[in-house]
Amino acid sequence: MSDPERLYVITGAPDGERAELDLVTMVVAQAEPSPTVQPEQAAILRLCKAPLSVAEISAYLSLPFSVVTSLLTELLATELIESRAPIVRAALPDRSLLEAVMHGLQKL
Amino acid sequence: MVRVESPPTNRDIPAVRAALLPVVLMAGATAAGAVPVTGATRAAVVWCGAIATVVVAALAVVLNRRRRAMRVQRAQYEQRIAVLEHRIAVYDQETERLSKELLPAAIRRLRASNSPQEVMRDIVDADESYRNLPKAQRALVLQVLDIIDNEEAMRDSAQRAFVSVARRVQAIVHRQASELREMEDHHGRNPDVFDDLLRIDHGTALIGRLADSIAVLGGARPSRQWPKAVPLFSVLRGAMSRILEYQRVDLHSIAKVAIVGTAVEPLIHACAELLDNATRYSPPQTRVHVTAVEVQTGIAIEIEDGGVSLSEEARARAENMLAQAQAGINMNDLGESPRLGMAVVGRLARMYQLQVSLRQSAYGGVRAVLIVPRDMITTGPAPGIAHGIGATSRPQSSLDMSQMQHVVPPRGKHKARPAATGPVPSLASPAPAPSPAPLASAARSAPAAAAMGDDEIVVTEWTEGGLPQRRSRGRAPLGSHNLPQQSASAAESVARNGHNGHGGGGTAPPGLWLEAFTQAVNGVPDEPRNDPDSDDAWDKGDQK
Repeated sequence: MSDPERLYVITGAPDGERAELDLVTMVVAQAEPSPTVQPEQAAILRLCKAPLSVAEISAYLSLPFSVVTSLLTELLATELIESRAPIVRAALPDRSLLEAVMHGLQKL
Repeated sequence: MVRVESPPTNRDIPAVRAALLPVVLMAGATAAGAVPVTGATRAAVVWCGAIATVVVAALAVVLNRRRRAMRVQRAQYEQRIAVLEHRIAVYDQETERLSKELLPAAIRRLRASNSPQEVMRDIVDADESYRNLPKAQRALVLQVLDIIDNEEAMRDSAQRAFVSVARRVQAIVHRQASELREMEDHHGRNPDVFDDLLRIDHGTALIGRLADSIAVLGGARPSRQWPKAVPLFSVLRGAMSRILEYQRVDLHSIAKVAIVGTAVEPLIHACAELLDNATRYSPPQTRVHVTAVEVQTGIAIEIEDGGVSLSEEARARAENMLAQAQAGINMNDLGESPRLGMAVVGRLARMYQLQVSLRQSAYGGVRAVLIVPRDMITTGPAPGIAHGIGATSRPQSSLDMSQMQHVVPPRGKHKARPAATGPVPSLASPAPAPSPAPLASAARSAPAAAAMGDDEIVVTEWTEGGLPQRRSRGRAPLGSHNLPQQSASAAESVARNGHNGHGGGGTAPPGLWLEAFTQAVNGVPDEPRNDPDSDDAWDKGDQK
């Protein structure tokens, strides 16, 4: 069974600007959901009490990524959430780590 | 009649008297004529007088008799006229009865799907007063019934054609809508395609509403059935999604109730039509406000626009249209450029006992109030508090939230896989476990929102940082190994976690030993920042 509401009602304008959000961008709620926000946004705020990636939000709400990003964009604009780009790891893995692995393997 | 009859007896004497008078006069005149004359002349005069007298007497008598006969005739005539008038009156009455009682009753009967012959039998022949209806009238009634029957059949078939076409369109639209939803899920990552899909989706919804309107006007009930109760909020958003300018609609303070499945579709449709009216007949920059509050009789949905205020005349027309529609409309009334909205709303209102009224809005526009009867409302098992989408998949329990603190989604499968594949000896686990355990337990036992900032995540993820993060999910059982140090609740949640994730403690160690190992080697966990990254990287991998 599908729901009576179509996605564009949740998203708002189909041509709305979207913030630069990645699937792996971490999102943290900055406030409790207020009664005026949309239910989906309230759900996001509840979910994101602990940092959560956009992909996970999308999965939990079973909403497509693009819908989630536009919801998040609104929340970002009202500063109800904060997004944090994933820190890109250095192109090469940590040398010490590799050594640790190597030693570990040798010990086996 | 009595009056006419009675006089003759009384007037007989005057009549004789009236006949006597000329006779006496004539006799007198004769006598007077005879006196001056003498001899043979007198005799002649007397004779003439006598004859004249006799003639006069005869004439008088005849005249009198004629008069009497005439009077009788007139009386008869009048009597006859009275009888005829009476008959005419009776006929009038009968005709009136025919048109005001018999025909309506017969037509009602006919509408209740009886054939004209049956109606004649049931209504005309069964009734004492109609049984001896004149043949002509009988024929007339029968003919009228036949004509009506024919017309009805034609109209019915036209409506059926209407409805069946509408149903086909609806079927296509529904299929397309569900396919679009699939496509939207599929192309969710690509905003450009997604936005285009949304636009198509919107257009499809508009077509769907039009098809629904045709079906409703064709006398059918909305085809779509919703198996479960739907929250009112979703119903209203469903209505929004079927109008052109849904972006101008604001939902405020919608009562947290759900609408029973059978009433969902008509309510969506009625609201959509009202919203369409509101957005269409108000300036494009104004907004339309929707509220839904509980009232004595149910839920009152108010749709208020900031448009041109409806003039009294226009309001009356709209209300009239509603009323007409509620009384069952005729397609003919829709006119050249049909404004279907009100007609549809009226129809739906009649079918589902909704009450609709249009009032002047405080903003100067129109305020449409739709009252949903209480028996359509349920506060029961509607999914989610206010919205349907995604509500069921949301982690609802505190357990889930506590798991969330590790930024590790509670997905058991992922945990299980590495554990199963990892052939690492489980013996190693008990020994190195103690060191990371306190950290993990601390993270779990302090579920306060404030406490679970970056540090915690760092801690929990640090261990997994170096190597595949899935291991960190496998770490849950680790906690269960170290239960003694933890609070009861934490233990419980962890245990459950472990249970959900995978069968036994034997699977846990693989992660453990390496974790302890890396920790020991690295010493200080000074690259906490990397951890979310790695987590994400893995999530990404999973997702893509």
